[in-house]
Amino acid sequence: MLLRLDDLRRHFGGVHAVDGVSLEVEKGSIQGLIGPNGAGKTTLVNVVTGYTRIQSGRAWLESDELTGLPAHRIAGLGIGRTFQNIRLFKDLTAVENVLIGMHVRRRDDTLAQLGTLPFFRREEKKRVEEAYSLLETVGLPRSVGERAADTLPYGDQRRLEIARALALKPRLLILDEPAAGMNPSEKQGTRELIERLNADGLTILLIDHDMRLVMGVCRRVAVLNFGKKIADGTPEEVSTDPTVIKAYLGTGGEREVHSAPGATGVDEVREVEEAAASSRGAKEPEKAILDVGDLTVSYGAIVAVRGVSFRVAAGEIVALIGANGAGKSTILNTLSGLIRPQSGTATFDGLDLANARASAIVRRGLVQVPEGREILARQTVLENLELATWARRDGPSVRMRIDEVLKRFPILGERRDLSAGSLSGGEQQMLAIARGLLARPRLLLLDEPSLGLAPQMVDEVFRAIEEIHREGTTILLVEQNALRALAIANRAYVIETGRILLSGSGDDLLHNPAVRRAYLGG
Amino acid sequence: MDFFISLFSDPIGFWNSHTLLVSQIGINGIVATSMFLVLYSGQLSLAAPGFMAIGAYTSVLMELNWKTPFVLNVGAAVLLAGVVGFLVGLPVLRLRGVFLAIATIGFIEALRLGVILNVPVTGEGLGLKHDADPLGGVPIILVSLLVVLFAVWRLTKGRLGSAWSAIRQDEVAALSQGIFVARYKMIAFVLSALIASYAGALEAHLNFFVDPGDSQYGVTRAVQILTFAVLGGSGYVLGPVVGATLVTLLPYIFEGAGDYINIIAGAFLIAVIIFRPQGIVGRGGLAIVRPAWWPRTRVSAPSPG
Repeated sequence: MLLRLDDLRRHFGGVHAVDGVSLEVEKGSIQGLIGPNGAGKTTLVNVVTGYTRIQSGRAWLESDELTGLPAHRIAGLGIGRTFQNIRLFKDLTAVENVLIGMHVRRRDDTLAQLGTLPFFRREEKKRVEEAYSLLETVGLPRSVGERAADTLPYGDQRRLEIARALALKPRLLILDEPAAGMNPSEKQGTRELIERLNADGLTILLIDHDMRLVMGVCRRVAVLNFGKKIADGTPEEVSTDPTVIKAYLGTGGEREVHSAPGATGVDEVREVEEAAASSRGAKEPEKAILDVGDLTVSYGAIVAVRGVSFRVAAGEIVALIGANGAGKSTILNTLSGLIRPQSGTATFDGLDLANARASAIVRRGLVQVPEGREILARQTVLENLELATWARRDGPSVRMRIDEVLKRFPILGERRDLSAGSLSGGEQQMLAIARGLLARPRLLLLDEPSLGLAPQMVDEVFRAIEEIHREGTTILLVEQNALRALAIANRAYVIETGRILLSGSGDDLLHNPAVRRAYLGG
Repeated sequence: MDFFISLFSDPIGFWNSHTLLVSQIGINGIVATSMFLVLYSGQLSLAAPGFMAIGAYTSVLMELNWKTPFVLNVGAAVLLAGVVGFLVGLPVLRLRGVFLAIATIGFIEALRLGVILNVPVTGEGLGLKHDADPLGGVPIILVSLLVVLFAVWRLTKGRLGSAWSAIRQDEVAALSQGIFVARYKMIAFVLSALIASYAGALEAHLNFFVDPGDSQYGVTRAVQILTFAVLGGSGYVLGPVVGATLVTLLPYIFEGAGDYINIIAGAFLIAVIIFRPQGIVGRGGLAIVRPAWWPRTRVSAPSPG
């Protein structure tokens, strides 16, 4: 065994981010580690690599005990890692980034620096040569070497981060979501790279939130949910494990499908594209309250949303589904005026969302409940609600409105004087939705309302959403838990790497075989 | 402008009448290099004037009380500053950014108001006077500047320098490369303390007088030293020295401004920061950067429809 974890624990307050995880990684293997958003994957990586202190349990890399060592020592022992949100040395060139990775192996030349120069030049030349060959190993051309890291395209930055980790000559390479935000062909490239590195004898621990990449390259896969390991085995065993399906799709999921979403590999997305070409798509409503046309949004070099068009009619529930990083949240943030689109149009009830101020958009009745809820943890429930109405002048009617909302969510009424941080995840989500309702929305944007919630809480949140809809609010819903979203949606759009692949009624998509396999589980 | 005319028309006369100015540029250049070191390792430390004070008082007090030779006095002063730097660094270097800046300001003010102004041996508020300049004037200062510059430049090119760069860019990522972040930050902090105290010792001898005022060892000086680095640019060793030279010369450059000198000099500094955010010595040759809000460069917003 190369890496051995024994009953690792890490709690943050009441959150059991890593809750007694044991795991073994065989030398020379590619071990997968998956789990839904918020399952504790990154925390586990941080605990193993020394970024977060271990609370209890022990960890070994071969015969070296890692427990309690600081991060730089663990790196020095031979664990290279990449970061979920790329952390390159941005202003340094690609080669300099890789050179820094050789720090541990490099002899201390501080005094030599002050004296003999030729000696230093020889060593430096050897190192630079090695750095270039590492760039080539990960598939970057030599010409990239002199460019500042942050000027590289997104996919190349991910590769550079791997090259930097390789410069340590690690015994174990931990890749934290190396394919996040990549399109299918880039993902395929990443997959080939991982297989090539492994073929050269490197042991790899691959973390990802969805199964597509992991299932393709790993011989063994462990699944985390709520900080606990819920399954460990071959990809086939894991993807058909009812507990795993339940973790991904919520309660009831295991009765409807036989394997977890994305379990059979990258090619599926191509099938969806073919299905899209043949299907007629959903009938777009004639009279739309929200009309989005050819919307393109980018963050620097990364194009997050590419020419997306869709419409939402008053009274509908419309869902946007797709994997993490597909661009769903970006679309919502653009609609509510938090991000400006690069091109394209978005109008809500005659208001130009591309140029209107965020506050004007809210006043018109388009209200977003953000991902991760963003409530004020130290304020009470009531204070959270009052703050949401802070800008309003009509005191008495605001009072009434708060009372109304508290009546809708009786659990919040009971806890009105407790601090919001002490609520459970589901109650916090209710609070976030309640806060959104105070603005009297006509169109409510919900971003991942089931994120990190236990299955029975998910049921409750979705019941609340349906009730709000029945009372006349139009809803645009972004969900990773596609099965649940499609079950309540009138229509839905499947989004993959910033584009709409497919649209249809909730029922149609739910029964489209290609969609099922790629996004819902087959 | 007379100042610059005389520089070219009568170089020898200029040199003779401005030795003090040239020495001050040299000393500020050394302090600026000490500032460069901490900034290069990603630490916004404003502790330099405190270490200068340690250098100045230690060396002058030894000379006045024990009549020990100059080299020994400076050596002891630098050593003491290194030890103090290490002890101060232990708690303070856990902080980052503005918090580190405030903590180091706490250090220099505690040293100045708490120790220097209260301990009789330092002459308290009156400062210390001594009679002779044993340095023989400018050459030793300029040679010191060159040696310090060379050493720091070489250090930034080695293993140490690459670790500092990594820490400056991203501490978390530096850890993942096996870099012992806390140790390398401490090395930079202590080295900068050594250099600053050396400059302080030289300055005290140059001036015949050690003045405990704020503009010498207090926040005002700290801000001035930070200005050297911001103005000159902290990406290359030469940047802060260029900044120090320019700031020291400002009163001469804007000689004609009379009473308005501070307003003019302030406007000049603001202009440099707006149009050369990376400093005078930095990426992009001498190109002037147009800020995004500058009217003529504003790109019209994408039109809807």
